[in-house]
Amino acid sequence: MFNSKKRLAREAVFALLVSSSPLFGQVGLGIPLTHARLRNGLEVIFSEDASLPVVSVAVAYNVGSVNEPAGKSGLAYILENLMFSGSDNVAPFQHFQFINRVGGELSASASEERTLFYQTVPSNQLALALWLEADRMKSLEISEGAFERARSALLDDLAQKKSEPYYDSHLSFDQLVFSDYAHSHPVLGTEADVRNLTVEDVRAFHDGYYAPNNAVLCVTGNFNPAWARELVTRFFETIPRGKDAETSFEPPVYVKRQVVRSFQDPLASSPAFHMGFRIAPRFSNDYYVLAIVDQILFGGRSSRLVRKLLGRDNKIAYQAGGKIDKRKDQSVYKLFCVVNNAAMGDRCQEAIFAELDKLKQKVLPDAELARYKTMFEHDYLERLSSSRERAIFLCESFLSLMKFDDLPLELGKHMKVTAFDIIGILNRYFTAENSIILNVKTK
Amino acid sequence: MKTHRFGLALAIALAGMTAYAQQERFRRTPPPPEPLQALKLPRIERAVLSNQLDVSIVTRENGPFAGLQLVVYAGESRSPNGMAGTATLAAGFLGQATLVRSVAGIEEFLDSIGGSLSVSVNQDYVVLTIHFLEDYLDAALEFLSQILLQPDFSRTEVDFLKFTATYDLLAREKDPDFAARRHLARMLFQGHPYEKLAFSSDAVRGWNPAGVADFFDRYYRPNNARVILASRVGLNVATRKISQYLNQWQPRELPASSLQPLKPPAKERICLVNIPQARECMVYLGTVFPALGNAERFDMAVQNQVFGGTPTSRLFMNLRETKAFANFAYSETGIFKAGGTFLVRAKVRPEVVTPALAEIRKEVRALVREPMTPLEIEQAKSYLIFNFPLQLERYDAFSRRLAENQARGDGEEFWSRYYEQVVLVNAERVFATAQKVLSQPFVYVIAGDHALLSEHLAELESYDVFDAKGRFEYSVTKDKKGVVHEAR
Repeated sequence: MFNSKKRLAREAVFALLVSSSPLFGQVGLGIPLTHARLRNGLEVIFSEDASLPVVSVAVAYNVGSVNEPAGKSGLAYILENLMFSGSDNVAPFQHFQFINRVGGELSASASEERTLFYQTVPSNQLALALWLEADRMKSLEISEGAFERARSALLDDLAQKKSEPYYDSHLSFDQLVFSDYAHSHPVLGTEADVRNLTVEDVRAFHDGYYAPNNAVLCVTGNFNPAWARELVTRFFETIPRGKDAETSFEPPVYVKRQVVRSFQDPLASSPAFHMGFRIAPRFSNDYYVLAIVDQILFGGRSSRLVRKLLGRDNKIAYQAGGKIDKRKDQSVYKLFCVVNNAAMGDRCQEAIFAELDKLKQKVLPDAELARYKTMFEHDYLERLSSSRERAIFLCESFLSLMKFDDLPLELGKHMKVTAFDIIGILNRYFTAENSIILNVKTK
Repeated sequence: MKTHRFGLALAIALAGMTAYAQQERFRRTPPPPEPLQALKLPRIERAVLSNQLDVSIVTRENGPFAGLQLVVYAGESRSPNGMAGTATLAAGFLGQATLVRSVAGIEEFLDSIGGSLSVSVNQDYVVLTIHFLEDYLDAALEFLSQILLQPDFSRTEVDFLKFTATYDLLAREKDPDFAARRHLARMLFQGHPYEKLAFSSDAVRGWNPAGVADFFDRYYRPNNARVILASRVGLNVATRKISQYLNQWQPRELPASSLQPLKPPAKERICLVNIPQARECMVYLGTVFPALGNAERFDMAVQNQVFGGTPTSRLFMNLRETKAFANFAYSETGIFKAGGTFLVRAKVRPEVVTPALAEIRKEVRALVREPMTPLEIEQAKSYLIFNFPLQLERYDAFSRRLAENQARGDGEEFWSRYYEQVVLVNAERVFATAQKVLSQPFVYVIAGDHALLSEHLAELESYDVFDAKGRFEYSVTKDKKGVVHEAR
């Protein structure tokens, strides 16, 4: 495709990258992976897959609601919307039209810990996707009008959420389980905060976090590596570095004792309860075991608490689910159950602790542990099953504070978890003393 | 000397600025595309086993995932008369206990192979899909053979499915979207076997073990089915393995089928499905048409793309972005053995339900009055062509598309020759097909709380009110003086 002279020039351009490390398909991940950093601090990940003529581009900014100052909640969410409101060379909402016209798909999301933008396009349109992302990274326009529209849309979303049963109880529970304002307030913000936001607040937040040195760009799918590197360098290298973002948090201080509270939800038609256990964050070694514990408790139809609470012949909860909620340096294992009446709520809570005790006392049979690991492996590998999912996965892994070079080994570490590791982790985190319970009462 | 130095500095600075301006010029316009890469779809290879079971094999890299699907031509149109839902009940057994595995055992089994199981039923056929980590192909095939050869139609299992179906339907009948869609299906398929798909919770009471066992025995036969496997395994090995596990499945002569072509509604009709306390208001409208040729199906696909297929299509832009009548408004085309459907679906603000209805009607009528512009057609074709590979990326999306293709017998026109077929579509063809298919009357269904909606429906000349289950309650008509009357 390229003659040798051109190829040399392209390689020379890529030499501008400060660092580059190949992490080619090692055990457990099985995908090619190259990581590099531009001089302005933008981290870049490439992962090729030539099976279909499709390519995905994702940009994740290392900013979410945890970075919002007190009283300014909703900023991250509003800014995610404003990223479609136009930049120097792209008119408002034209980003969407450009992608749509070439048969592409795009979306964005803001969470507690990161804000992500991604698009999948035919592989011959890689340059377009990179050009669009670079333009808004370099020159986003935040007008008063666009801000007002975004705020109005957010207030509508908040009104909708407030009309949903259990929404307020989830927010109240977050305030119980997370240690500070940064981690506990909602991504959508509160109505009072959102009403008080100004366009200057948004611009200041943007200036603080939406810079190449606070972002990771990922290109996955079918592309020519040298050409992709050249495009990335061309479109992103001259974007000025921004301020160094504030990303450190005070370590949480917890006293290990059970907390039980009540919450009245006038919209709820059935009683419910939230239960939480503060656990180690993703970048710790305990997390490898905790992720398997998640499968044991709620990962599949045959998981222990799914059977205990929702079993076909002994169903005691109306709805039940559990998952790890990760917010930067803090994580909580959260359960939420809806029950028919308060007595059933007590019965469910007893059943949960009884099952946890059983798991602590009796070593998990090999076949059962193997099943949970297979479920985990399936879920893990599914996150690599399309170029878009792979791009998101790689961006999120990069920002998760773990050492990115270790990523290819991550699945293997999960697979090495033993039944005794599980008992240890359950005893460390899943105890009554470490539990926080919020009983939701109907009016 | 100083001047010279200054001149040199200025020259360097200017050169730098020029270089900068040149360097940044690329930002001003979107970069042109590279040459389009060819889309090489994996071949669909076919084989027929000794028991007449059709097998479709696609050898493909799916990461570590494999997709095994069973298509059985036992859709809801095959349910016995007076026993609507029997086909759905039979399909429900595809994930239930067998004589050799309890439900709990099946759950454990699926988790142990990194598996998931789903079943879908439409008017014509049932699709069972099992995805799993590919190392477990033998286990998955053995499981499929147990489902087919050793089903457990005991009273306990039937009662369990009746209970869950009733509960599910009662819950969904409070959802305006479900209620409107089901009611529209009843209106459009009235008197046709396809109407059975729109059964209510009342029909579930009649389900019984003998009925489902008889249905399964008649229709779940290899000569009425197709197995599809998408994995890294090639045709020969895949066929041998499938044969090993399914060769005990015996063929049987199938009951005769007499599926009449779908007939469009005789006249326009507006129905309101009353769902007390519902906050949302859904509007559906639709019509049916007889079976189309392949070229016409591509015309309809392009038309739908322009009209209501995406958030940048005419309907969405007009109803939501321009008029602010709706949260969303989309259209869709359904293709079945006996014909097709064209539907519009919109979630509208209750206070503007009447102008929203009028606007949708105006948009639909425009389809048969004037051709779409060549620019609209070309943009829609580009989208369909370029978006096609995106729809095949994920293993489950690939399986879904593959099963649909194979179940309908679409063949290569809708697979390897998809691009060519879309390219051939033009504005004249789309217009001619629209006039053929959409010139007939439409049925309109509004679902929401009548108490909330009635004042906003005052402009309508007449409409019929149904309860949440779809039972007729009364008609509302307005006389010449504008006085509203209700008649039961």
